Amino acid sequence: MLAYTMRRLLQMIPLLFAASLVIYALLALQPGDPLDELRQNNPNLTSEQLSQLIHAYGLDQPIYIRYFKWLGRALQGDFGQSRTYAQPAAKYVFTERLPKTLALSGIALLLALIVAIPIGVLSAVRQYSLTDYSITFFSFVGFSTPVFFLGILLLFLFAIVLPETLHIPALPTGGVPNVLWADVKDGSVDFFSYIGQWAYYLVLPVMTLALIQMATWTRFMRASLLEVLTQDFIRTARSKGLAERRILYKHALRNSLIPIVTLVGLAIPNVLGGAIITETVFSYPGMGTGIFDSLTQKDYNVAMVSLAFLAVLTAFSTLFADLMYAIVDPRIRYD
Amino acid sequence: MQRRADRLALRNLMLFSVALVCFTLAVYHPWALAGPQDNSLVVGTSQEPRVIGGDFLSVISNQAIKAEIELYLFPNVININLDSKNYAVLATEAPTLENKRVRFTDLGQGKRRLEVDITLRNDLKWSDGKPLTTDDVQFYYDVGKAKGMPLLNPDYWSRVTLKVKDKANYTVIYEPAFYTDLQGGTRPSVALGYAPAHIMKDAWEKTKTAVATLDPTKDAEKLNELYRNFFQQFSTPEAVNKGAMVYAGPFAVRRWVPGNSIELTRNKYFSLTPSGGAEKYVQKVVYRFIQNTNSLLVSILGGQIDVTSSVALTFDQARSPQLTSRAPGRFDIWFVPSATWEHIDVNKFSAVQKVKELQLDNPKTRQALLFAMNREGLTKAFFDGLQPVSHIWIAPVNPLFNPDVKKYPYNIEQAKKLLAELGWKPGPDGILQRTVEGKTVKFEIEFVTTAGNAVRERAQQFLADNLKQVGVLVKINNAPSSVVFADDYIQRAVESKWTGMFMFAWVSSLSELGNLFACKDLNTGATFMPTKENNYQGQNVGGWCNNKYDEIRAQAVTEFDDKKRKALFDQMQQTWSEDLPALPLYFRSNPFVVAKGLVNYVTAAYAGGNGYPSWESWNIGWEQKGAKKIYDQAKYALSLKK
Repeated sequence: MLAYTMRRLLQMIPLLFAASLVIYALLALQPGDPLDELRQNNPNLTSEQLSQLIHAYGLDQPIYIRYFKWLGRALQGDFGQSRTYAQPAAKYVFTERLPKTLALSGIALLLALIVAIPIGVLSAVRQYSLTDYSITFFSFVGFSTPVFFLGILLLFLFAIVLPETLHIPALPTGGVPNVLWADVKDGSVDFFSYIGQWAYYLVLPVMTLALIQMATWTRFMRASLLEVLTQDFIRTARSKGLAERRILYKHALRNSLIPIVTLVGLAIPNVLGGAIITETVFSYPGMGTGIFDSLTQKDYNVAMVSLAFLAVLTAFSTLFADLMYAIVDPRIRYD
Repeated sequence: MQRRADRLALRNLMLFSVALVCFTLAVYHPWALAGPQDNSLVVGTSQEPRVIGGDFLSVISNQAIKAEIELYLFPNVININLDSKNYAVLATEAPTLENKRVRFTDLGQGKRRLEVDITLRNDLKWSDGKPLTTDDVQFYYDVGKAKGMPLLNPDYWSRVTLKVKDKANYTVIYEPAFYTDLQGGTRPSVALGYAPAHIMKDAWEKTKTAVATLDPTKDAEKLNELYRNFFQQFSTPEAVNKGAMVYAGPFAVRRWVPGNSIELTRNKYFSLTPSGGAEKYVQKVVYRFIQNTNSLLVSILGGQIDVTSSVALTFDQARSPQLTSRAPGRFDIWFVPSATWEHIDVNKFSAVQKVKELQLDNPKTRQALLFAMNREGLTKAFFDGLQPVSHIWIAPVNPLFNPDVKKYPYNIEQAKKLLAELGWKPGPDGILQRTVEGKTVKFEIEFVTTAGNAVRERAQQFLADNLKQVGVLVKINNAPSSVVFADDYIQRAVESKWTGMFMFAWVSSLSELGNLFACKDLNTGATFMPTKENNYQGQNVGGWCNNKYDEIRAQAVTEFDDKKRKALFDQMQQTWSEDLPALPLYFRSNPFVVAKGLVNYVTAAYAGGNGYPSWESWNIGWEQKGAKKIYDQAKYALSLKK
């Protein structure tokens, strides 16, 4: 397994190099440059002044020179400055955006898993019962609802309609709470109130994100378990006279989790890449909106560091999923 | 049994989730809501500034929201009121020819030198109690003049010099000068600007040492980075929260929570006192950032927001039934006509084959196209008439605006007549055609605009339909704004990159120099028409060359007598409207939602320089708390009621 892992890690080097090259080229080749806005807004800008600015931003060099300069600095850990956020791009992405996305998407992912697995199991065990039909119905509603619609719907419901009619407190319409970690450190806000404020702001976006993922995973869990339940070793277990609960949790569930492991493994880059639509609806400053804004604002360093990070993550999470197979399924061996 | 147990487990899980949500709601609901109760103001905006305060030359960011918030923190020395006129805030009086604070000398060849004397008030203080003097103006000037500073307005900085007389008096010299240099507004303006020398000077000296050996032509990137690092020390959320910056306005930043809000509190050292005492006016202003405008709308409906900023709801959202039905008794919705001018530029480069065939370089063709467009119908159908039809590129609130230009009201017959005079006859399919060099040419015109901009795309469909009625076929060719506004597209009409009509907007400046439609600057020899010869620079993208316009413009931009200048601009607008180089559509309006009882949160296209409602922030207050109403928004805006 160690040799296999090492081989896979070495294979990642050319892969990531190629990925960074493609990302860089795509960013640099998109129409327009960071000075477009300036050009549009200042009629008095002369061509000499403009070329001076182009030079100051290093935009007059050919793409490959710019790429290798970037690569050289990136390998030393310097991902350049964010042009729009006035700080090192890596610091911005990893300290401001990534933790927020981890909080939102991570909680949503966990919640979706915690709910989807038991409900999926229930749905499979009670196949063709009223419970199964209801779960199936809601799952279909869940994964055919566009996330932006669900987000706006929940917002409208919990921030306007319910508070107006039932006079209950409204949930926040988006963003992050008005507390800083520094407040906790200097003691002006206590830790639990800090967590509580965050929870209060995360309720709606987490619900939006989790509900849709829940719906999909419930279906996968159900299908996978149903398949396992029809297999011979389950029949053998039953014929041995084992309790139904033992058969289900000890024999069937572990085997049915293999496809779920793949799904979760592949969902990790998505979790860290941010949920752009949910983040947009809830004005949540996570990775998704960060990447999107950096692309539209042509803040190449931020876009580069985020996308390169996602490429690395995708490579690692595929490896992780492959390694997890071996753990979940003893039949799989890599050596 | 098993089945029942599972069902029970499911029910318990659901009940637990609901209970958890309710508990969180009950415990952590921010009860302290906005409004007159605690004399505070919550402003909703869809943009968050990247930096604030220390980036005084806008080297890091020139976002609208930054400029709007900074008006609470750094008032203009000479401000611009709702009627676009200068008045003094931090200075003792506004410079004019009459009070001898403005002097100009003729340098020959149409060039002038302008000297403006400014006297700062003697009671100005920073928010740490230290006096604000000409040292701060000198510091601002020194930083702006530093070698290789990546300025947004290099043209301004190349012409300006400063002479400080004493702690209160200084002279700003412009050479060559334009009349527009006399305008007040946001930094840098007629009175230059200021920045806290006592706070920032040490860091600046270090930066100066670091850049001393660098050469702007070779090390521009390095210089850029060092300068940005200097500004960052006083402008990022961490810096601001640490108290690294001081402010000179009626408010100071107390706290900035990225992604949530910026809180400003009243600065006791600010010397201008509103009528009845500062305590009767807003004591705390919170800018709440909600990037998604739909969610912002929800926040307004939910009563969490008192007013919207200049960067907030879209025009359509401000007219949405959800908002308007809840407005009565709660808030006013104003539509303030801005200086953003929507129009259609027309390719007029005679060398372009399509221009020749369609005779787009002939004013009659352009006039016919405009006669065929039902612009009144367009603004009524799509905007409830809240975005007024324009006849010229200068905004009506600009003192240079000429209301008596030639107008082209919707008139199909007139359009048809003009087209017939040009030799166009309807073909078998109803589309106009004529014979050019033995070949039949159809009147099929390309129509470009920014794809994804729903308002423009809707308007485009409407106008295409109008044109079809006179036998003109429109070929829509839209692309995202990054494509159509890229240098190798919009600037290349001469190379047939776009061959017909191009709908987009310009911000019509109060500092109007007429460059948008100038062909050549007869004073300096610069050209404004993008061609290969000038490396495709200039904003006269359609390529309109009119000697008469250029001659009057050359006089107008260096004429310092208000009346004579206005007369020259009247002539320019007259010439423009007769020749019609572009088809004027309408001026966009900015929507503002303002809670009932809030006074002096008003604006007009050029108030404060950019039309931000914070232009006179010290007078914003709640009537319930005793604030006096000075300005009436109804005079400067439209609303759905009318």
